[in-house]
Amino acid sequence: MLKAMTAPAQPGVIRIEQTRPNEALDAPWNVVVLNDPINLMSYVTMVFQRVFGFPRAKAEHHMLEVHHKGRSVVWSGGREQAELYVHQLHSYQLLAQLEKPS
Amino acid sequence: VNGLHLSAADGKHLRISGIDPLLALCLQELPAILELRDQPEAQARLLPSPTAGDETANRDWRETVAPELRHLFASAGEIVSRDLTQLKPSPRDARFRTLTIPLAHVPAWMSALNQARLILAAIHGLDEIDMNVAYDQLDPRKAPAVLRVDVLGMLLEHFVRREL
Repeated sequence: MLKAMTAPAQPGVIRIEQTRPNEALDAPWNVVVLNDPINLMSYVTMVFQRVFGFPRAKAEHHMLEVHHKGRSVVWSGGREQAELYVHQLHSYQLLAQLEKPS
Repeated sequence: VNGLHLSAADGKHLRISGIDPLLALCLQELPAILELRDQPEAQARLLPSPTAGDETANRDWRETVAPELRHLFASAGEIVSRDLTQLKPSPRDARFRTLTIPLAHVPAWMSALNQARLILAAIHGLDEIDMNVAYDQLDPRKAPAVLRVDVLGMLLEHFVRREL
């Protein structure tokens, strides 16, 4: 990230200070849903539709991915929003976690 | 459970009819099952950690988010327990029960039914295999819990189908 600053000691001189982005805040985070042998497949589909606004087909795709592969990345983005989604998924009693992509 | 039927009683209520003796028994047990939510195995399942290894984030979650979720789950259980006091014999066939609930309580019902299933599974250590074998091949200590998880799941499935 480039940030332009005016150095007060030297009027008219523009000092360019390069700063590194805060990777912990800026890097995308994954919201991962883990398989659970108890939750109904239809229930998981319904939750994905409600929480993420997925169309039925996309919700079923992620549900089946959870069922067959044990996990599905259902959303990626900023940490704050990812935490909110995990919170919502937990409120529906789905096993969900935040993950930093490796 | 095959004759189970959910229908809008009016614009504000949902009638659950065709509740057979087995489902009625499971429903009558529901408040007691939900009371087990604070047992360690049940709590671990209902209030999982938000990360696999970030202990700071997990601790913050336990202190801030988990109490809120616990309150949410308990509230749903209280609503359902109150509704269950209205479980009545069917006017057409006394072997069956009927229950009318406010439509506004449907989210609480779905939450409570799912909680109960997860609590039973956690406490009895039910896994993928237990949930997919015939009852007569199950460990006899697990069979009653699997039966309850399945029966409550059938009612939950009816609620979900109405929502999808």
